[in-house]
Amino acid sequence: MAVSGLLEVDDLHVSYGRIRAVQGVSLTVPDAAVVALIGANGAGKSTLLRAISGIIRPHRGAVRYLGEDLVGLPVHQIVRRRVIHVPEGRGMLARMTVLENLRLGGFALKGAGHGKSDLERVFALFPVLRERRAQLAGSLSGGEQQILAIARAMMARPRLLMLDEPSLGLAPLLVREIFRIIPRLTAEGTAVLLVEQNARMALQCAAYAYVLQTGRVVLSGRAADLLAAPEVQHAYLGAG
Amino acid sequence: MEFLAFLVVDGVLAGAIYALVALAFVVVYKASRMINFAVGDWMMLGSRMVASGIHGVGLGLGGALAFGCVGMVAVAMAFDRVVLRRLFSRSLLTLIMVTIGLGIFMRGSAALVFAGLPGGIARPLPLDPLVIVGVPVAVEKLVAAAIAGACIGALSWFFHGSRTGLALRAIASDQQVAMAVGIDLHRHFAIAWGLVGVLSVLSGTLWSFVAGGGFGIELLGLKVFPIVIVGGLDSFPGSIIGAFIVGILESLTAGYVDPLVGGGFSHVASYLVLMAALFVRPYGLFGRPDIVRV
Ligand SMILES: Nc1ncnc2c1ncn2[C@@H]1O[C@H](COP(=O)(O)OP(=O)(O)O)[C@@H](O)[C@H]1O
Ligand SMILES: [Mg+2]
Repeated sequence: MAVSGLLEVDDLHVSYGRIRAVQGVSLTVPDAAVVALIGANGAGKSTLLRAISGIIRPHRGAVRYLGEDLVGLPVHQIVRRRVIHVPEGRGMLARMTVLENLRLGGFALKGAGHGKSDLERVFALFPVLRERRAQLAGSLSGGEQQILAIARAMMARPRLLMLDEPSLGLAPLLVREIFRIIPRLTAEGTAVLLVEQNARMALQCAAYAYVLQTGRVVLSGRAADLLAAPEVQHAYLGAG
Repeated sequence: MEFLAFLVVDGVLAGAIYALVALAFVVVYKASRMINFAVGDWMMLGSRMVASGIHGVGLGLGGALAFGCVGMVAVAMAFDRVVLRRLFSRSLLTLIMVTIGLGIFMRGSAALVFAGLPGGIARPLPLDPLVIVGVPVAVEKLVAAAIAGACIGALSWFFHGSRTGLALRAIASDQQVAMAVGIDLHRHFAIAWGLVGVLSVLSGTLWSFVAGGGFGIELLGLKVFPIVIVGGLDSFPGSIIGAFIVGILESLTAGYVDPLVGGGFSHVASYLVLMAALFVRPYGLFGRPDIVRV
């Protein structure tokens, strides 16, 4: 997979004090493609996303996005480049309304005036949010909050969207609802880096995939190939 | 009965200005959890700048207010650039100590810079009190309170109707999330301090209208703690209500208790309320339980 991509992570190392969470990861996300990142709990998936979005600073390696190294840029500068991270646990502003959360999603977009049409687009996609727009985000159910988190990210018109465990804790019906959105995003030109415990669904909707184990990439390739690979089936898909 | 009404009205009018002072405190606390121990010194400096605009530069009241706002916003920006950004990663306690240091610095440099300039701000108003349904009301207090009320209204619009206000509320609600949606925290901390500068000019000037100008104003800052602790540190409506409670309480104790004990009790009364409030509801009447006290 030596394709040159929208995002190229090169030999990234990230530590929390003495804990070396990511140890030399390289990966590529092509434009408008879905790339899945799977691996057991503690493998370093969330840490990798945090390093890309600037929340933590890697101590080695590069995060090249459209040819520019993002390492060292403040978070809001990275968001302005339309690299949007929906973190684990969704990161809602619980005491603000659904509408305010959505408005904030588009905060980094400079030229005003887009807000209205983006809002309409999101409401058309997720009618439940229109109904609940005046409600406090903290009063939504877990599934609705996840939908709001993704909708808020869409308000920023992401070029690269990073979703961290979007299906965590959701009922199967809602999980399908979430996964239904992903192809629509790529159709509009958004690339998606998808971290998932639900490896089967992730591999089914992704073009490429990486398997992370204790901070290192142990397998990578086309998602369809990984779906069929015995070691993946055994370790991540619960097959014998 | 008439005396009681007079005292309550007087307390309410003072409360409106206190509310403005308290908001200057809460704006910063909400955004950054910093406790500004020098609100009174900001007010003092704000009103001295307006006074020097009048007496030193020869401006009218409106021009002097603008002069004061520009000056205080410049002070706020300098404080943000030179001090706060450098100390950003330090403990909250360090940052809080820094506000005390700035207050002392403001007091010292104001004494030097404004030496010889009068601190009073003449009010363009009649001196005779109005009598409303039998209760005498000082016109300057009424006007000052009305202006304070208008400022509070404008501030409330700013927080709920503007993009910057939305961002400031997001920061107050969760800094991590605010950053994640692309809000530049430092820029908005600076805006919050700029607001403190403007509010200082306004409340300092209004207080000079009613109480005369000069260096006594920094004592106004001492009233902020009972108010915001009753109101719950991070609540705008709470601190406005707290301001009226403290204003009325001071007025009542000044009218009924001070003559008996020989004066001064009215200044202590609000601190007694502060302590009572801490016992009953440690997070204030309108605050949330998750507030950590320093
Ligand atoms: N804030 C943190 N402080 C210290 N260690 C952390 C922190 N977050 C994660 N870790 C550690 O880093 C490693 C990778 O964690 P994480 O990136 O959350 O994995 P994953 O998302 O794949 O479950 C784990 O060993 C975890 O314990
Ligand atoms: Mg994780």
